[in-house]
Amino acid sequence: MATDQAANANSDPELDKWEVQLRKGSLELVILACLWSGRLYGLEILRRLESDSDLVLSAGTVYPLLARLKTDGLVQAEWVAGDSGHARKYYQLTLAGRSRAVQMARLWVRFSTGLKGSLSNILKETRA
Amino acid sequence: MTAASTSTQVDRYLARVRVAMRGLPEREIDDVLHELRSHVDEMGAEGVEAALDSLGDPLALAQRYRSDNEMVRAECSGSPLAILVGLRHASRASTGRVTLTACYVLGYFVMGTLWGAALEKLVSPSRGGLWIVPGDLSSLTLMVGGAPPAGAREMLGWWVVPLALLAGYGVKVLSDRAAQWWIARYRRTTSVI
Repeated sequence: MATDQAANANSDPELDKWEVQLRKGSLELVILACLWSGRLYGLEILRRLESDSDLVLSAGTVYPLLARLKTDGLVQAEWVAGDSGHARKYYQLTLAGRSRAVQMARLWVRFSTGLKGSLSNILKETRA
Repeated sequence: MTAASTSTQVDRYLARVRVAMRGLPEREIDDVLHELRSHVDEMGAEGVEAALDSLGDPLALAQRYRSDNEMVRAECSGSPLAILVGLRHASRASTGRVTLTACYVLGYFVMGTLWGAALEKLVSPSRGGLWIVPGDLSSLTLMVGGAPPAGAREMLGWWVVPLALLAGYGVKVLSDRAAQWWIARYRRTTSVI
């Protein structure tokens, strides 16, 4: 599956698992972040994730997650007839979704900033 | 690959998703399948194969939609059946799922016993009720069928009927709420994938 080709570069399988879990945990946030600037349809979201956050996700991961976000009232969806001959299902953040995105982004930044101190010691020593 | 054969391949894939999603509201299934087809159409240039690969195994894909949908229904519905179905998804380990289901069923068993005791008192007033042998607390028996212990006396009289009904209802509500709380908590702390 797909959080996917994320855990590709590590030689340690345990590290791979850890990275997959880390990315899984951030999926909701990155999708909300992706929709922050406007409505997108599924394939656009996948491509945006790939280009903006280096997350290569499968469609089989993203579509059910979008369905869950919709159920939770964080995004809303509407079918729009396209020029391409078929309709596209566009997603956009609801007010609750925007508010959740802000909260999650703040938490994420606080968490990673908090970790920075401890991690810098490790990285300093391994660099030396 | 010809257009006809790719179309058949997509139809076959979507048919498998539909079968695996059976039981969910038709409207939701149609919406999901419509979106998946739109995704395949959108990927046209890159090929149907790539699109279907990206969607992955149809059964696993349907299961992702299904488990979330069934957990939401369990959270929102008071139906014991919906809650039982939701509990099937509410633990990663099969032992966890079995334990949760057993606890839930036990709650309903206790409710049934209490309501049975109330019914027993109505049907057979001389045998039904809460009985105790004086001086022996361990002999305390709520009669549901059978005869009271020798030398026992009844404690609550007709009060056993409303009290057992109320207690049974309390156990049912408690079991439902506890199961729904667990499902909601599990769903919120677990990724859809």
